[in-house]
Amino acid sequence: MARFVLRRVLWALVTLALLVTIAFFAVNLLLPYDFAVGVGQRPRAIERIREALGLDRPLVIQWLDYMWHFVRGDLGESYDGDRVSRLVLNVLPVTVAIFAIGGIVAYLLGEWIGRLVAWSRRRVLSATTSVASVLLFAAFPPFLVFLLTHFGTEWLFEVRSWFGLGIVPYAPIQEGPLLNVIAVGLVAAFIGGIVLRSWARRHDRRALAFAAVPVGLMAFVASLLALGVWAEAINRLLWPSAVMATVAIILIAFGESMLVMRAGVASEMTEDYVFTGRAKALPEREVRDKHVAPNAVLPAISRLITSVPYLLTGLIIIERELNLNGVASLFFNAIESGNVPIIIGILVVVGLIGLVLRIVLDVVQAIIDPRIRIEGEAA
Amino acid sequence: MTDRPADLGFEYEIEGWADTRRRIRQSKMVIAGVGLLGLFAVLTFIHPVLQATIWSDQPAVYRPETGHDPAISHPSGPSLDHFLGTDPLGRDVLSLMTYGLRPTFLVAIATALSAGVVGLIAGTSSAFFKGKYDRVMTHVADAFVLLPPPLIFLIASKRGLMGPFELGLLYGLFFGLGPAAIVVRSRALSVMEKPFIDAARSVGGRPRWIITHHVVPHVIPHVAVVVLAGVVGALVTQGFVEFLGIAEYRYGLGNLVYNALTYQAVFGSGVAWSALMAGALGISLLAASFYMISSGLRDVTDPRRSSRRI
Repeated sequence: MARFVLRRVLWALVTLALLVTIAFFAVNLLLPYDFAVGVGQRPRAIERIREALGLDRPLVIQWLDYMWHFVRGDLGESYDGDRVSRLVLNVLPVTVAIFAIGGIVAYLLGEWIGRLVAWSRRRVLSATTSVASVLLFAAFPPFLVFLLTHFGTEWLFEVRSWFGLGIVPYAPIQEGPLLNVIAVGLVAAFIGGIVLRSWARRHDRRALAFAAVPVGLMAFVASLLALGVWAEAINRLLWPSAVMATVAIILIAFGESMLVMRAGVASEMTEDYVFTGRAKALPEREVRDKHVAPNAVLPAISRLITSVPYLLTGLIIIERELNLNGVASLFFNAIESGNVPIIIGILVVVGLIGLVLRIVLDVVQAIIDPRIRIEGEAA
Repeated sequence: MTDRPADLGFEYEIEGWADTRRRIRQSKMVIAGVGLLGLFAVLTFIHPVLQATIWSDQPAVYRPETGHDPAISHPSGPSLDHFLGTDPLGRDVLSLMTYGLRPTFLVAIATALSAGVVGLIAGTSSAFFKGKYDRVMTHVADAFVLLPPPLIFLIASKRGLMGPFELGLLYGLFFGLGPAAIVVRSRALSVMEKPFIDAARSVGGRPRWIITHHVVPHVIPHVAVVVLAGVVGALVTQGFVEFLGIAEYRYGLGNLVYNALTYQAVFGSGVAWSALMAGALGISLLAASFYMISSGLRDVTDPRRSSRRI
């Protein structure tokens, strides 16, 4: 097993090096204009800036330099002299928190509804859900965001007023250590809930399985109360732009996870073990939840994880719409000013998130399914 | 096709495609998608026709970018003069929408072309030659999958030098080397296992002949599926680029949405629903039509999925 993990990580490093190389050349060749032109006015000044930034060297030399820094875990310096890694780390928590919460909720919803729809023979149900999820999947993000803010704001302010919170402007959510604590806590609560749910299912405790995710969330609320940051946390959690971004990413990711899960269940339904299950008179529900779903879940999760970079891009577009100060603010400012290192850094970080998730997925799959492990070691 | 009894209740040809054609005709997803796409294609070509016939008495009012109807206040809802109403700047929405579909279609065509060609070449060649070449190509594809083409599209469009066609080609290149190559490679690998490849080799078939005549025909349907799925992303991204106003033109569907939202805030005139819906639903439905064709084709090309439904 250790050998498998080691191999996987080593190959991932090769992929990562390729990723950085492609990102470096793509951005350098595609970028609008020379950064120096935007800063200095006179030819002499432009030349001096280019020299100072090392832009006068051939691109290949610049690439070697970048890779040398990257190997030591350094994303270089932006043209303004800030460390790119620090800039990205500053804005990453907002994006990752929204993405993780939205992604997990969307996955849970999609898995549940996809399973029900694939199993049901009601044509109307199947048709409505497919139309809805296809439309959500292809939805134009600014339009979605507009609809959400147009119809959701007043309702959201009402919810805020239940907690004794006032109306706030559509300002970006404030940063701070508390935000990270909230994000990590919420994600941990969700994941804990899911693990608890699968454990309860295996041991046939239906009530606990049903309550698992709510229990996890309640544990999160309880810990907030215990820490005494309840009011502040609720204020952050009900911040309009953050809520709208989460809802939007849930809607977009839901379409995909529902379609994938449905296709997975539909293809498993024709397997022989389903006949066996029915032949020995197991209840339909049991065949669906205990025999078919576990087999369909793995491909569904792996498809979702592969599309993480795409979903993240969707979130970046949504963030731009809502003026959230997540990755989008950094990304679009950098495009505007032609600040190449920042753009490369963001591309690399987005790719890195996808890569790490895929390694984790591969290892988990290898633990669950011995066939993969043996093939991986033999290769 | 293996030998089958002749009395299946439908006619079939000996040469492979009859069964596929029948299943395509039965797939509601494909039919709905093609219908929707056809509707948009008609809308795209209808603009000059309308300009020459219905709008010919007042061409200045209906001109897509500079038109303005001084007779009514804007934005207005659908009326007999303006079938889809007018936008906050007083321009006819139907005219803007049909005109704005042009760059959208250009991007779709360019993306499909380049993603298809690149994906096909990269995928089949790495499945055919195997070995070290395959390893390298697989890692390159893995790296490209992690680089979302929408971000590249956004970066490239900032330059203002690339038109919709070039941007589509670029998107297709990144998509073709990444997701498309991976899908095509896995399909081509399963074709390579088939006995007829060995047969073709044993009678002295050259690699190029085997690839073009034995591997590619089996892989093409899968290429279509993955490429159409890629077009969805390209269309939504292009809409966003237009929305941001960094495209080199100002008449796209995304611009329509932008104008509807922005001038509503400036003029305080309420939401220009007709303009907003025409732009946003135009992008979403067009993208959805490609997605529907893609996912319908996926079921058709993978008969296992739809065959035994109990």
